Amino acid sequence: MAVIDVVNLSKAFGPKVVLSNVNLQVEEGESLVVLGGSGTGKTVLLRNIMGLLTPDSGHVAVEGKIIAQLSRKELFEVRQSIGMCFQMAALFDSMTVFENVAFGLRRHHKMTEAEVRARVEECLSMVGMKETEKLKPAELSGGMKRRVGFARAIALKPKILLFDEPTTGLDPVMTDVIGRIILDLKHELGITSITITHDLKSAFEIGDRIALLFRGECIACEAPAAFKVNPHPVIQQFLRGDADGPFLQDPPPPKRKSMSNSKEAHA
Amino acid sequence: MVLTAIDKVGAAVLKATDTFGDFAVLAGRAFAAIFKRPFDVKNLLFQFQSVGVNSIPVVVLTSLAVSMVFAVQLAFGFKQFQAEGLASQVEGLAIIRELGPVITGLMLSGRVGSAMAAELGTMQVTEQIDALECLATDPIHYLFVPRLLASMLVVPLLTVVSVYIGFWGGYLILVGVEGQSAYVYGNEFYKLLAFRDLRIAIYKAFVFGMIIALVGCWKGYRTQGGAEGVGNAPTSSVVTSSLWILISDFFLTKLMLV
Repeated sequence: MAVIDVVNLSKAFGPKVVLSNVNLQVEEGESLVVLGGSGTGKTVLLRNIMGLLTPDSGHVAVEGKIIAQLSRKELFEVRQSIGMCFQMAALFDSMTVFENVAFGLRRHHKMTEAEVRARVEECLSMVGMKETEKLKPAELSGGMKRRVGFARAIALKPKILLFDEPTTGLDPVMTDVIGRIILDLKHELGITSITITHDLKSAFEIGDRIALLFRGECIACEAPAAFKVNPHPVIQQFLRGDADGPFLQDPPPPKRKSMSNSKEAHA
Repeated sequence: MVLTAIDKVGAAVLKATDTFGDFAVLAGRAFAAIFKRPFDVKNLLFQFQSVGVNSIPVVVLTSLAVSMVFAVQLAFGFKQFQAEGLASQVEGLAIIRELGPVITGLMLSGRVGSAMAAELGTMQVTEQIDALECLATDPIHYLFVPRLLASMLVVPLLTVVSVYIGFWGGYLILVGVEGQSAYVYGNEFYKLLAFRDLRIAIYKAFVFGMIIALVGCWKGYRTQGGAEGVGNAPTSSVVTSSLWILISDFFLTKLMLV
């Protein structure tokens, strides 16, 4: 049985259909990467899995439990087994890094303060942020915030991790660091994960399977090697990173010749 | 044309019903969450400080200013009829029955309610409230309950402070400036009052505290649209809670003075 089972999931906001009959299954210990352009419903997919949004039709089941049918208490029990890493980290800005990571532990586990401290230090060291526990989120860089967000997400020892664009807005080096941390977490904790990203390099490193959302539909979900050679024009255009093709709804502006080319032409 | 007008009225009625329903549901959830575990004592104490202790200077200054100005007006008005002695009686009546609770409520809706709306609004647009949900924590329980409890308990206490300061504001003017006897002022201030009046003032303050916290948290929790939404939430919170304080003051007075 799949740990996460997305069945015919559809979601619209007013007239705008964001997800249309999306089907995805993630097996235990598997890492699924979801690719897609901006506004194609990737974050909406994660929010449906977490129960932050309710599907218009279809459903999401986590470990066999249909999220939209759970009571609030049951939903919170399921959420304790899922760690969510937000795009901009969503750290509680009134708390220190330590308090952020300790938040779930203090609320849901009867741990002594020494045990909480030990677990927080363990989580922070896993993401390379051990020396920052007294800092406030405002004192951290974008990459550091994401890493603290990871530490907070893994503190409760979840079975599933969801990463919402963990590398967006970061420089290439920090993007690589984040990619490595996700890989480490995957190998060390053996967690089932869904990662949403635009970064193809880390997508192929992290993913056991890669899915592509296009205009609300999942047009491919396969192993990285098969994904690379998938002949679908949208997939190939996405992999090339080219503006010309069926990916964009509105035609892109025409490509200008570079200055050196035009000088050579004049000569 | 007529249909369009009816359409607009219908849409407005639906929107108002929807808004009120949303507020009622969230308020109901907040009250139900008061008795749920875990009890967040640290957060509650922090709110007591934020709502109560930090508001003392504002309440003291406004109560002093309003009671002094009121005393000046009373002294001037009653002098026209050679009835200066009545000024301290009316001063006491007005401060305990109306000025104390209403001024405290209005000042706290500006100081505390707006801060709650801004804080929760920022948390909403930066996904911190979603993060609470994802950490299996009910935002209504974690965010609303400590603010609601602190407000309901602290606004009555600050109202007592306001009444006390109001007494001395009147004293400064009527005794210090107008030359009335301090002994007479002390006796006359309470002459028209019964203990029931203080009790009514405390009940009113309790309701005002409820309004301030619920409206502030509700406006913040429902913030949408980034910086603009966060900017609008405190303004909307202050306007709404001030209106509700004044409207509820009328009905509470009418009900309890019978």
